[in-house]
Amino acid sequence: MNVKKHLTLTRAGIIESLQFRLSSLVIIAGNFIYLIIVYYLWKAIYASVDTESVNGMTFSDTLIYLVLATSLFGFMEMYLVWQMGRDIQSGKIILDISKPMKYMPFMFWSLSGSVVMSFIMTFIPTFVAVYFLTNGAIHLGINILFFLISVVFAIIINFSIDFFIGTVCLYTESIWGINIMKEVIVLLLSGATIPIAFFPEPLKTIVLYLPFQSIYNVPLTILTKSEMPVEEVFKMMLTQVFWAAAAMLISSLFWKKSLKVITVNGG
Amino acid sequence: MDKIIEIQNATKEFKVLNRREGLRGSIKDLFSRNYNIVRAVNDISIEIGSGEIVGYLGPNGAGKSTTIKMMTGVLEPTSGKILVNGNVPYKNRTKNAQEIGVVFGQRSQLWWSLPLIESFKILKDIYQIEDSDYNKMMEFYRSLVDIEPLLHKPVRQMSLGQRTLSDILAAFLHNPKVVFLDEPTIGLDVSMKSKIRVLIQALNCEKNTTVILTTHDMGDVDALCRRVVIIDKGKMLYDNDIDHLKNFFGSYRTLKIRLDEICDRDEKTLKEISQKLSEEMSEEFSGDKNPAVSTDNEWINVLVNEDKLAVMDALNFIQTKHTIKDMKLEEISTEDVIKKIYEGGV
Repeated sequence: MNVKKHLTLTRAGIIESLQFRLSSLVIIAGNFIYLIIVYYLWKAIYASVDTESVNGMTFSDTLIYLVLATSLFGFMEMYLVWQMGRDIQSGKIILDISKPMKYMPFMFWSLSGSVVMSFIMTFIPTFVAVYFLTNGAIHLGINILFFLISVVFAIIINFSIDFFIGTVCLYTESIWGINIMKEVIVLLLSGATIPIAFFPEPLKTIVLYLPFQSIYNVPLTILTKSEMPVEEVFKMMLTQVFWAAAAMLISSLFWKKSLKVITVNGG
Repeated sequence: MDKIIEIQNATKEFKVLNRREGLRGSIKDLFSRNYNIVRAVNDISIEIGSGEIVGYLGPNGAGKSTTIKMMTGVLEPTSGKILVNGNVPYKNRTKNAQEIGVVFGQRSQLWWSLPLIESFKILKDIYQIEDSDYNKMMEFYRSLVDIEPLLHKPVRQMSLGQRTLSDILAAFLHNPKVVFLDEPTIGLDVSMKSKIRVLIQALNCEKNTTVILTTHDMGDVDALCRRVVIIDKGKMLYDNDIDHLKNFFGSYRTLKIRLDEICDRDEKTLKEISQKLSEEMSEEFSGDKNPAVSTDNEWINVLVNEDKLAVMDALNFIQTKHTIKDMKLEEISTEDVIKKIYEGGV
């Protein structure tokens, strides 16, 4: 693998997202409003019960989890389905396919730049803010390193799922409905909107066997529960590795197969 | 001359759902299995030598883009064989991509929000172009066009002409063996068109790059292509030199005359006179010889097939009947021939 070939795309993505300063500000503002809603929603939920903690999570546990989940979403979401859908509809995808690179890595590395940028611009500030506001409720230690590794796998899984859905657009030639469905399913089952601890029992077990919880639940649990034994962390990360490999394989096979039957629009 | 592209009996079929009308029809379509097989490309064979510029022409929807997509490896032919520079495009897509360049007039492969020079640098890394080759190429570009002001301009701020020019330069950057240009001059003004033609000509000449050009502008064809391939409804209609094309329907010339009788240039009288002339001509010249007479604003056009009838004979004959005030002789244009072929003159 030629590293330069791929990193040049990351570099381009970073420069590209630096061109749109206003857009990143708007995204930060949007996230902030979302967090205010989350804050009052969960405040109401906790006010309605007498106990200090619900399902083993206190109010501040839940809030830290959800704030971090939101900012994790902010940089992991690559909007790949939208982009693939648009490129398919406009026919621009032909130009990307006729590059001397496989299409899936081409897209991954093209989008990686904006991931790096939003990680720096939104996740790190949020993390620092949460750390100080909660007076160090998040432990700073080896768990940070595990978290970062786990995030990389999460990004790969998320990207592969998106790529799979994007490929479906080759058949449907429409994007909106499919993408909304995907977003709702992924965000719910991954524990990004509601912590998995709050799920009712049978669903909780099912979710743990699905790939989605590897995207948000695993990295966030690793980050926030520093008291977790190392074996437990490794077990979680192994599940991630398994899902990353499986999702990548399935998506690239599906893409390869789909390309044979498609008709690309235009001309 | 060595062959760089070989297409043998290539056919591409698409499955298209038969759509029904209205809301009810659309709902029924959701469960429909009623497909039609559409043959976009039907049994086409072409051989192209390296360094050629070939005009690939056809009316809208003729299957041009489908053929190009097969050559770039995006589509797999349903049957038949395609070789581009020794590669089977859809099997060795990445390897093939390294040796071809693609320009679509209506789309851009450049990075939209970045200055052009950044796009060039990215392409340099993706195609793994050596520094020395890259610098040489840039030097060559500088000698051809004034790119300095473009290099630091974001692509989204460019005019269509500048963007197309940049896209063409980007496609040639890795010194590909073959470049596919799909309607590169679409929507451009006259001066930009001629700039782009000069550029394509120069790149082809200097680097001996094979160019496959699809266009609807016959000016492009006249300026660039010595060979023309015409397809329609997926079938090949013509594959030969452009000079032969002009003789495709016989060697036609248009004799334009203005007669003394038409002083006020009234359209009605002009029509009447041309009608009269037409009758006179058909009495004199029978069968194949008989030229077609039509009118435009001021002129009476007599379309003469020179294989059958000398223009001078026609002129002499008209002179015996009318007083000719003015005349000129016009070659039939590529555009007219192509139009005739498209309209089913074959």
